[in-house]
Amino acid sequence: MNAIAPALAAASGLAAAGSAAGLVSPERLRPALVGVCTAGVGAAGLAAGGAALGGQRWSASLPDLLPLAGVHLALDALSGLFTAVSGGVIVVAAVYGIGYSRQGPAGRGVQAVLPLFAWTLVMVPAGAAVSTFLLLWELMAASSLLLVVAEHRKRAAVREAGVWYAVMTHLGLVCLLIALVLFAARAGGETFPALRAASDTLSPAVRGTVFVLALAGFGSKADMVPLHAWLPRAYPEAPSHVSALMSAAMANLGAYGLIRTAFDLLGGGPRWWGLLAVALGAVTAVYGIVQAAVATDLKCLLAYSTSENLGLVLIGIGAALLFDAGGNCALAALALVAALLHVVNHAAFKALLFGAAGSVVRATGTRDLDALGGLRPRMPVTTALFAVGALGAIALPPGNGFISEWLLLQSLIHGLAAPGVATAVMLPVAIAAIALSAGLAAAAFVKALGVGFFARPRSAAAARAHESPPTMLAGAGLSAAACVALALVPGVLADGLGRAAAAAGLRGAGPTGGAGAAGGGPIGGGELRLRLTELSGRLAPLWIAAALVAAVAAVLLLVRALARGPRRTGAPLWACGAGAPTARMEYTATSFAEPLQRVFDDVLAPEQDVDVTPVRESAYLVERVRYQHRVPDRIEHRLYQPLLRLLARAGRAGRRLADGSVHRYLGYGFTTLVAVLLALVVTR
Amino acid sequence: MDLLRKIREIGRVAEPAPPHPEGEVPPSARELHGSAQVRHVDAGSCNGCEIEIGGAFGPVYDAERYGARLVASPRHADVLLVTGPVTRNMAEPLRRTHRAVPEPKVVVAVGDCAMNCGLLAGAYGVAGAVADIVPVDLEVPGCPPEPAAIVAALRRVTGR
Repeated sequence: MNAIAPALAAASGLAAAGSAAGLVSPERLRPALVGVCTAGVGAAGLAAGGAALGGQRWSASLPDLLPLAGVHLALDALSGLFTAVSGGVIVVAAVYGIGYSRQGPAGRGVQAVLPLFAWTLVMVPAGAAVSTFLLLWELMAASSLLLVVAEHRKRAAVREAGVWYAVMTHLGLVCLLIALVLFAARAGGETFPALRAASDTLSPAVRGTVFVLALAGFGSKADMVPLHAWLPRAYPEAPSHVSALMSAAMANLGAYGLIRTAFDLLGGGPRWWGLLAVALGAVTAVYGIVQAAVATDLKCLLAYSTSENLGLVLIGIGAALLFDAGGNCALAALALVAALLHVVNHAAFKALLFGAAGSVVRATGTRDLDALGGLRPRMPVTTALFAVGALGAIALPPGNGFISEWLLLQSLIHGLAAPGVATAVMLPVAIAAIALSAGLAAAAFVKALGVGFFARPRSAAAARAHESPPTMLAGAGLSAAACVALALVPGVLADGLGRAAAAAGLRGAGPTGGAGAAGGGPIGGGELRLRLTELSGRLAPLWIAAALVAAVAAVLLLVRALARGPRRTGAPLWACGAGAPTARMEYTATSFAEPLQRVFDDVLAPEQDVDVTPVRESAYLVERVRYQHRVPDRIEHRLYQPLLRLLARAGRAGRRLADGSVHRYLGYGFTTLVAVLLALVVTR
Repeated sequence: MDLLRKIREIGRVAEPAPPHPEGEVPPSARELHGSAQVRHVDAGSCNGCEIEIGGAFGPVYDAERYGARLVASPRHADVLLVTGPVTRNMAEPLRRTHRAVPEPKVVVAVGDCAMNCGLLAGAYGVAGAVADIVPVDLEVPGCPPEPAAIVAALRRVTGR
């Protein structure tokens, strides 16, 4: 019995019902109805993806649904994994959104678009033809854009974010369109099986062009540097459950598209593809986390951390391409499995973190870490949830992010023997980049948790904070449970991940065994066992966690037993006789990040501006000193601003062509027509 | 090696220990058992007493050989060494410092100003003598007191 088709049909039906409910239901009921329907879409996606991961396959062709091309859908283990991840994130975000929308974006339009966006997230991996895939992709981009600008009446920054996001996502679409249409034109068919069959007959130049354009197009969705300029704007300004959907589900689909195109459709490629992807991934990971470490906006920090994690996934994909090109299938499968596991882990903890950040924003009205603090006694559950998510994000045991990064590092370290000078240089650099990003991630999330939630409130808004409604806590709690499960028993995913890597076309993967693996996939079992040709390693996250808990408990008991001194008394903090310390004396996010910012001074290029105003009578007496300090996104500063200025100048110059004369416009039309005809005559 | 040779060549420069000073040991100092950690508070002094305290802890008078030691925080201290008349700005910090010293604590007022405001009595910025602000256990008269007098007072605290 194939469960995929009814599950996807249920998702479509529930999405339609949710959109209708968003349009017609009264405002009081609207968030709950839409939330329940959207959660249903997510649950259906989870069921369909789970069935596909379990080994079922499904494909359908609906030739009459769209003119000319028809609709082709298919779900294998690879797309099933991404459908399941999207589904899980949607359930979390939808339950969370019920409470969040009560006082936030409850308008008809926003609530009607949310189920549609959720549906596209579930369906994009199921697209099995170029036209179907691009149509779903564009629907996803457009619906997410509408959700990003949901609060555009409240803040001007939302409008700016919307423009950036619209332009960047459509530039990405143009790249994808060129890549896939070129591919389809050369292959002589636009369904994925046709592309797959024809990929070997293409010339290397065409294959390279398709790969590079696909990398750019999918990379812009997956927050790849230098195409990330939209993300520090769009993620913070979107409503928080939409941020969670975009960061934890939509960004993954960029990785999915890249895996689908590079491995499945193109069937792997030469070594430079892998090197390019690893290099871009390493730059993305380090740049993203450096920006996160110095960010003072809570949601901006999470947005840059998304960039870092997708960079790590990109390193995994690139390494898999590299090992595949070198013929080491088992290692390639391990790298790809590590990348896929990191996608799952990142989705779990990032949905949780954006949820908790949304609760903070809703309770205090600010995202500025320098104005937060003291939330632990006021929002204890949210603080605990954020701590679980932060533990997952910092890649240390017993967090869930540790496991996938460990696997990724294992695959890269065992691949150091791969031939080629460029490989020999790139792999150690990638290993260093992963290690550096893991360390900086710890700093970034210690800052977010310590400055944002502990100590004393730094503003009146933070002092008035209160705990979120139960639906928001329940939504974030679901993803916290997923984080804990992934951290303790990641082995349950091993078979599914192996099937997904096998579906991507890697011969060494899959539970059925293959060329490089000795009796099974590269990982498996209740604990994580690495099985490569010459070595095997194992990691038991459950035992690590148990040992940590036992050690902490033992230390606490020991301290309790040994520290039997005189009775403790409370005393005010000693502040050199100057009275009680105030919240102004606390560490802020800016001061915490200052040493890091000094270390990465050359990369970040922070801007400082000191403005001294003397009194009128004397230049030596100062009336006011204004100090301004900000860390701009340097790539945006150096790459995008000059480009935008150039475009604006070209636009102004082009204005001269349009002077309002109808005769001239007719002349343009006539000249163009003649030129086209001439070109046709000459080329035919 | 150079340092060790110098230590051997120079030997002790401290004055021989004078006989044990007269006067009774303050009751709270009895629990200190010969070791007193001293926090010095300048409550508004002209720095004359500070120079003498510096001398008392220098190599010649060497108060440390009797078990008294200067520390950097009242949280580490048993003894407060207060100098100067207590100015209005220093009255509250002095009270806070006194509160910050753990029990048992001893307060030693050093100099005439600390005892009775000396020649600054009645000045507009003066809140009073040290005894008006915190309870004082020992007083060292003099303007400024000699290092030997300070050492003698500290010896009464340490009992050595």
